[in-house]
Order: sequence, then C-alpha cells, then structure tokens
Amino acid sequence: MIILLLNAFANGILYGGVLALLAFGMNLIFGVLNVIHLAYGQCVMVGLYVIYVLTVMLGIPLLLSCLIAIAVSSILGVLIHLLTVRPLLKAQLLNQLIALVGVMIVLENLALAIFGGDFLAIQLIFPVFSVGNVFIKISMLIPFVCSIVTLAFLWLFLNKTYTGLAIRAVVQDTETASLMAINTKRIYLITFVIGGILSGIAAACLAPIYSVHPHFGSAFTLTAFVIVVVGGCGNLVGGFIASFIIGIISQVGGVIFTTEIGELLVYVILMLVILFRPQGLLGVRVKA
Amino acid sequence: MKPLSKKEKTIIILLLAMITVLPFFLSSYLKHILILIFIWSAISTAWTFMGRFGMLSLGHGAVMGIGSFTTALLFNYYGLSPWIGMIIGALMAVIFFAGIGYFCFRFQVVSHYFAVISLVQTIVVFLVIIIFRNFTGGALGITLNRLGTSPLFFQFENKNYFYFIGLGYLLLTMYIWRKIDGSRLQRALTAIGDDEAAASSVGISIVKYKTIVAVISSFMTAVGAVIYSQYMMFLHPDVIASTDASLNIPFKAVLGGMYSLFGPFIGTSLVIGLEEYFRVLYGSSFIGWSMVGYGIALVIIIIFLPKGLYGTLSEKLGSKKSLKNILTPEKIESRT
Repeated sequence: MIILLLNAFANGILYGGVLALLAFGMNLIFGVLNVIHLAYGQCVMVGLYVIYVLTVMLGIPLLLSCLIAIAVSSILGVLIHLLTVRPLLKAQLLNQLIALVGVMIVLENLALAIFGGDFLAIQLIFPVFSVGNVFIKISMLIPFVCSIVTLAFLWLFLNKTYTGLAIRAVVQDTETASLMAINTKRIYLITFVIGGILSGIAAACLAPIYSVHPHFGSAFTLTAFVIVVVGGCGNLVGGFIASFIIGIISQVGGVIFTTEIGELLVYVILMLVILFRPQGLLGVRVKA
Repeated sequence: MKPLSKKEKTIIILLLAMITVLPFFLSSYLKHILILIFIWSAISTAWTFMGRFGMLSLGHGAVMGIGSFTTALLFNYYGLSPWIGMIIGALMAVIFFAGIGYFCFRFQVVSHYFAVISLVQTIVVFLVIIIFRNFTGGALGITLNRLGTSPLFFQFENKNYFYFIGLGYLLLTMYIWRKIDGSRLQRALTAIGDDEAAASSVGISIVKYKTIVAVISSFMTAVGAVIYSQYMMFLHPDVIASTDASLNIPFKAVLGGMYSLFGPFIGTSLVIGLEEYFRVLYGSSFIGWSMVGYGIALVIIIIFLPKGLYGTLSEKLGSKKSLKNILTPEKIESRT
C-alpha cells in the first residue's frame, strides 16, 4: 500500500507539471483581462488535432509539427481575442462567459464534424524507468520538464522585459496602467498571443500522453481554472504550487478511494479556498 | 406590483385562451416540444430571479440534480409519491444550494468567484451521482418505475396532463417573477447589485436578501426538474445535473433577455425550436455542423444584442415601461 501511495505521489507530481502548463495561460488571461477563458481547453484540443494531422496523416516529424501547432494555437488565440473577447470587454460577466461557451461549442463541434468522435492518438511509446519501487513514465516526465522550462521563460519575460512589466502593471490596475501610457489593448492582444502559445506548448506536451477527442478540452479547462483560483489569480508561482497540490491530491485520493472521489476532493478544496482564502494560497488580498 | 396595461392584459388573455385549447388540436410531437419549452423556460425564469441581480449562478444543475434524483430515488426504492418527494427533494436542493450560497454571501464571494463556486457545486453533485452508481444508476441514468396513469404518483400517460402542469408551473414562476419585481426584495437586490458597500451602509442586509432570493430560485428550479423527470420518466445526470445543463439555463435566459418577464420564455422557445428543427432537418448526417452554427449565432447575438432578443426588441419598439424598474446592463456597466 505504501509503495502504491508513493507511486501515486510521484504520479501526482508529474501530473501536476502537466496541469501547471495548462494553468499558465489561463492564469495570465484571467489576471490581465479578468476573463475566464472557458474555451482554453478547446484551444489545447485544436493544438492536439493539428499535431495529429501533421504527424500521423502528413508524416511530418513530431517536433516540427509541434512548432506548427504552437503557431496555429497562437493564431487561434488572436482570433478568439479579436472576434469574441475584445467586443465584450466592457460587457457583463455573464455575456463574456456565454460568448466563450459559444466559442467552446464551435470548436468542439468543428472537431466532431471534421474528425468524428473517435479517440485519435499519436502512437508513441516511451519507456518507463524506476527509482526503487517508484515507476516513472518518461512520457509524463517530458511535460513536467517542459512546464518548468516554460515557467522559467515566462518568469524571465514578465520580470525582465518592458512588455512583461506592462503586463504586470495591467494585472495590478488596468486604469492606472493605461494612465501610465500603457496601451492596454495591445497588452490584451499580447496576453492572448502568449496564452495561445502556452496552449500550443501544452498540446505538444500532452500529445504523447493523451489521445484526442472532441470533448477533450472541457475537463482541462475546469481543472486549470481550479488551479488559477487556488493559487491566486494572476499569481504564476502560486498557480505552479497549486497545480502540484491539485495533482497530488487527485492522484493519491484516486488511489486511496476511487478516481471520482479524488476529483471530488479537488473541487471541495476549491470551494474551501474560495470561501476562506479568496485571494488564493499565495495571493495578496487586493480590495476591489 | 405594477399593474398591467390594458393592451398587455388583452394580449395575455388571448394568448392564454389560445394556449388552453391548443393541446386538443396538436400532434403529440408538437405537444412534446411545447411541454419541453414550458418546463425549461420556467426553469430559466427561476434562474433569472437571481441572475438579473448580478448573482450569476451556474449551480442550477446541482439544484436540478438534487431535486429530481431525490424524488426519483425515494419513489423507486421506497415507493414515496413524487408529490411528497418533490417537496423533500426541493428542500434538500435549497439546503445545499442556498446553504453554500449563504456562506458565499457571508464571505462576499461575488461575480466570477460566485459563478465558479456554483459551477463547482454542479460538478460535485454530478460526481456524487456517479460515485453512488449502484444506487443512482450512475452515468447510465435511472428509469422511474412505470405505473401507467396514476395521479397520486405523478404519472400520466397522456401528454395533455403534462401540458397543463408545465403551463401552470410556467405561469406560477412568471407570477413569482412579477411578485419579486414589485417588492422590497427587488429594490434591495438592485441596490446590492449596484454597489454592495453602499447598500449595506444604508442598512440593507445583503446576506438576508441574497439568501431569500437564492431559496426561491432554487426551490422553483428543483420543482421544475422534478416535473421534467416525471414527464420523461428517465433521469440522466448528463441532462439534468451536468455542467452543460447548468450552462444551458442561463443561455436561454440571456438569449431571450434576462431583464424582462418574457425573455427566458422567448429564448427557450428559440433554442428548443432551432435544435429540433435542425435535428429533424439534418438528422445525424450533419452531426456537429448545426451546433457550430448554433455556437456562432450565440456569439453574434451576445455581441450585438447584449440584452437578448426580447429585451432589445421591446426596447426598440418603445415599450420601455416593462424595463423601467429593472437592473439593466447600462446600470451594471456604470458601476464598473
């Protein structure tokens, strides 16, 4: 049992890496625009389909097709921003949510119409190695490493460049930032491009693990949002830690009880966090 | 409550007369669609009790799930009549939803966070239904024991009964909508929706009023879910307790216009009508594409008609009377 738990724990850490990658883009978009990007998981799904088409159908090498997928996802991010988010920036919360659900419906059903409802997988087999009694999948290790590298780059971008500074300023206070001659519209666009790139990277990392199907995205969107809230919105480090907490809880809970109870625990934790620590685990409380 | 104008009265009486004789002429397929429209638009209307005051609940799927599953399980396993089970189920849904709501209101969980916490409620209920699959049927759903026509156990084979039950339920929810619209509750909640701090500073109890409206809204929603499940005789968590279900309710309300009495009804008729039209016209040959069109239409309507079809139309036609006292999007915008 202890060995099982140890394995689940290791799995949880690796799974947390995948989740962290998913949550980054969501976190940025929520922090900057105050919009819950409900179609985020669907953007990842589009990336996965692109990779599938390029590698399996057209025979392009995997790495190249991953790069193309990242480009396609960033374009998708721009399109979503220009066509749905920008016209609704000043609209009510519910209208924003519903418009994004509309995008979600469009993307899911386009996938269904074009590819059908089958599970499509890139047939890649990675070895498994073991440390003592703990077995670690290489296919889970890759996204884990990728997400840490991506977070490092994102951190550098946000802290060492002017654009990053501007983005952080907008996260803190949009109006004051625009008074300081920051072009908020441009920042919004850049955020969506980054979000798109991150969803593309997430797709590239998920490609060896998951098979893609039209309803792939929705579960991930919610988990990503759970992480954003638990970690504190707009707080990348908090999100990073939260994704490991969530990953470990869902995996260990799944081993001790059942998979559904593991999931349930995650949502119960989310509720408790929203009620008792709405600024997130690492967040700083800002009075609106 | 604002009295209806003469024109509105005649229109309503004419409509009611038409609707009352309608089921005796319609085919049973059309009757089925009308019943669905009645039930779902009533649920949508019940949602707007909260929604129009800026409390965006995505947890009405949880309410529907608890209400209908409690009723169905009590009936299937213990033979309790759904009439009583409906009350028990609705009360349980109220305790769950408004109970968590109470804490949200206490801790000032608003806008995004309230939406998310209510969405999570739906997922929790969905997962609980799946976890107890031996008892609830899990993802396969549960079929009610069939008794034929049995008024004591809320089962009717003839669609006409459900037509009138659904209609009555819709009218009741609309009546409550109007009751709320003219009450102190509405003014207090509008004030809270505009600015919570200002409202509480003039002595409006935020927690009390929000909880009251959450109780009313969730009770009516749960009752609607029970009527729906008694009509379908089959409960499926995907239809009645999933995130899709709880997203679809506000959809319909927003599409029609959630600040007006008939908005949810118009929105629901449109959605259900279009869905059925596409389904009958294209069947499964065009699977996916019709939903793509639906999604695009949704985005366009939200962007260009933010007040919904009915809300925008009635404003264009100049009958602003019905919209005067209501919290409109402009008022919400002005506070941000």
